[in-house]
Amino acid sequence: MRLNIYLTGVGGQGLVTFATVLGDAAIRAGYKALVAETHGLSQRGGSVDVHVRIGDIDAPLIPRGGADVIVAFEIIEAFRAVDYANEDTVFIVNRRLIRPPMIKQKIPSINELENLLRKNIRKLYVVDAYSDAAKLGNIIYENTIILGALYSILRLNQYIPQGVIEESIKMNLRRDIDKNLRAFTIGLKYGNAK
Amino acid sequence: MSNCIIRLMLGNHAIAHGAMEAGIAVAAGYPGTPSSEIIEYLLDNGREFGVYAEWSSNEKVAYEVAYGAALAGARSIVTMKHVGLNVAMDPLMSSAYTGVKGGFVIITADDPGMWSSQNEQDNRWVGLHAYIPVFEPYDPQNAKDLVKLALEFSERHGHPVMMRTVTRVSHVRGPVTVCSPEKPRYSEGYVKEPRRHALVPANARTLKGELLRRWSTIEEDVEDAPHVYIDGNKNLIITSGVAFTYALEAVKNYGVKASILNVVTPVPLPRKVITDAVTRADKVIVIEEGDPVLEQQLKALLYDEDIRVPIMGKMENLFNRVGELTINSVMDGLTKALGIVNPLTSIKTISIDYSPPQRPPVFCPGCPHAASFYELKVSTARSGARPVFSGDIGCYSLGINNPFNEQDLLTNMGSSLGLGMGIYHGTNGKTLVIPIIGDSTFFHTGLPALVNAVYNKTPMLILILDNRVTAMTGGQPNPTSMISIENIAKAVGVDYVRTIDPFDTKKAQDTITEAMSVVKGGGVAVIIMRRGCALEATRLNRGHVARYYVDANACRACGICYNLIACPAIVPLENRKAWIDPNMCVGCSVCAQVCPYNAIKPEGNVKEWLGKWAEM
Repeated sequence: MRLNIYLTGVGGQGLVTFATVLGDAAIRAGYKALVAETHGLSQRGGSVDVHVRIGDIDAPLIPRGGADVIVAFEIIEAFRAVDYANEDTVFIVNRRLIRPPMIKQKIPSINELENLLRKNIRKLYVVDAYSDAAKLGNIIYENTIILGALYSILRLNQYIPQGVIEESIKMNLRRDIDKNLRAFTIGLKYGNAK
Repeated sequence: MSNCIIRLMLGNHAIAHGAMEAGIAVAAGYPGTPSSEIIEYLLDNGREFGVYAEWSSNEKVAYEVAYGAALAGARSIVTMKHVGLNVAMDPLMSSAYTGVKGGFVIITADDPGMWSSQNEQDNRWVGLHAYIPVFEPYDPQNAKDLVKLALEFSERHGHPVMMRTVTRVSHVRGPVTVCSPEKPRYSEGYVKEPRRHALVPANARTLKGELLRRWSTIEEDVEDAPHVYIDGNKNLIITSGVAFTYALEAVKNYGVKASILNVVTPVPLPRKVITDAVTRADKVIVIEEGDPVLEQQLKALLYDEDIRVPIMGKMENLFNRVGELTINSVMDGLTKALGIVNPLTSIKTISIDYSPPQRPPVFCPGCPHAASFYELKVSTARSGARPVFSGDIGCYSLGINNPFNEQDLLTNMGSSLGLGMGIYHGTNGKTLVIPIIGDSTFFHTGLPALVNAVYNKTPMLILILDNRVTAMTGGQPNPTSMISIENIAKAVGVDYVRTIDPFDTKKAQDTITEAMSVVKGGGVAVIIMRRGCALEATRLNRGHVARYYVDANACRACGICYNLIACPAIVPLENRKAWIDPNMCVGCSVCAQVCPYNAIKPEGNVKEWLGKWAEM
């Protein structure tokens, strides 16, 4: 088994935490996992990408065109990730637009961006993690909702039992565990909704 | 081994834990991406086992602390990023002469690709330069294993050992077998050995000969390091470090037929291990991240041994010499060298006809540096001055971006004062120079330069942006929490020293204007702009944040707030009026002070919140 999961988003959205929970769960389930993150410079606001590889792998980085799934925590970043996609790549895109500051050029609306993605990507799932998280009381849960979406859409339960990923959430998040477990469950609906 | 468990672990944490398993007593470092998490881990997890760890004021000091401990016989490590090693070069070169008593490992985290660095120097060269052996790991587990091995190797030879990691080892999380730490090996007492430890010329001359003899036993010993040889084919790939993982993937998954030799010690080369492997090969391909350090030495070695076989690597431009390796670049080079088809090029990638806008890193919402740069810009513009903004290394380097454009030079830690002085004198006093330096960088290498400015009477306005932590690398503590920058500046002879809060925009502008007139009169002026890092403030006071919002009726869409302070929380709407994202605003109040129409209003108890924030 080999799974290449490419995460993309904006600094501060919790991609590294997301990847740690996922990678740790994979290891708890008996697989090898590598999570490659690049941070430093500014902690917030820049583009961030994290490579998560699970199973029969050695190198830390996913080849171009080699992602099985691209998870975009922000919609503009989904477009930056297409280098890693092939025709079969599943896209999971959070319906969230974070304007790059100080840009004079016009940014398309979130609907325009979504339509552009729908026109070009066969296996596209748009998730509303931002508003789901806001309903749950804090946008901080956005990433755990997306994790639930990824888990259900990719049917990861065939490799990582749900109890194992919940254990990983408990061990790695430490704060607000109950809310995070609920956020994960909320995310699961996106896989069933197909 | 029942006390060992497998965990997903960051490469840097694995290194730190490996050092604890090897019984280190002392660890020192200066933060710098991608090295910082090693000392952080030891501060969090080492104390309960009795490990002494510290953030030193700079890399040279850190080096000396760890080196001194090892001279006394304790096991120690020092950590820094690649360019940080330059700061420590002075003690480093001498440490090979004196040798050490306890195991001593220098961990240098190189940053190929310059994700957050000013250059991508390959510190394996330093090993060659200094007669210090270099161990190079390829993943987190290997990094943990090698740091233990390196400490033992160091102690066995009484010689410093360097471990070179790269971003894709330091900042990769992977499965690591974690075992209980060993009792820290402190020294029983320092034994005086002036003939060895005091490098006056007579002693140093003797020690150079001894160093060369030690080097030849080290050259023999590296033969037994855990080099990996995977037999497969007459084509031989030789790697060191993370390149090994790409070679493995190429052979396992992408149809490359080759043997692989991974060399654990790129400096010095294990000559016998390499010649054994090479004599079985028709063709050798060298893959390494950084410069052709392995390749150059290999070519020299094979010339010596009279072995003629084609060698290909970076010197033949088979692999990228700029930036990190990737599986794509490795496969491009390998397939070219072997004359086979690259399966990765037949993947059907997709393209979408929309180029997303760039998203450069920006100041965080509420960052006091953004306020400082705004105030500096307004006051210099108002007075008609055209200063040279001499920048430095830290979060405030982002002042290079629009709309500030207030970093004209920026080369290395502490360079703002030194280069600024050079520009002043080089233009025969015609330039108003404003060095901008952070608190941590000031204590790092700004301090001797400040002494020089006063001593050599070089008029400058020095802005010290004191946000109370070393913010860029994740908020590590530094001497600013203990030592008064004001007192230092006064003690070295600066007459004009002022402290202001960058969140008080009016006072900040007035003070900068006043200080510029002091400098025009030939003086050195220091302004300390003090306000805690916004990320740290909100982390310390979770849930106590006051906010601001835009009164849409009062907003006249002038754009001053979003165009001049560039706060990521302030977004222009379609009608060009401002909107503040309540999830991003941290209540710094600067936009409200800047708004000429009083359209930005507080929500919650701002005064109490800013008071708490000021306690940092």
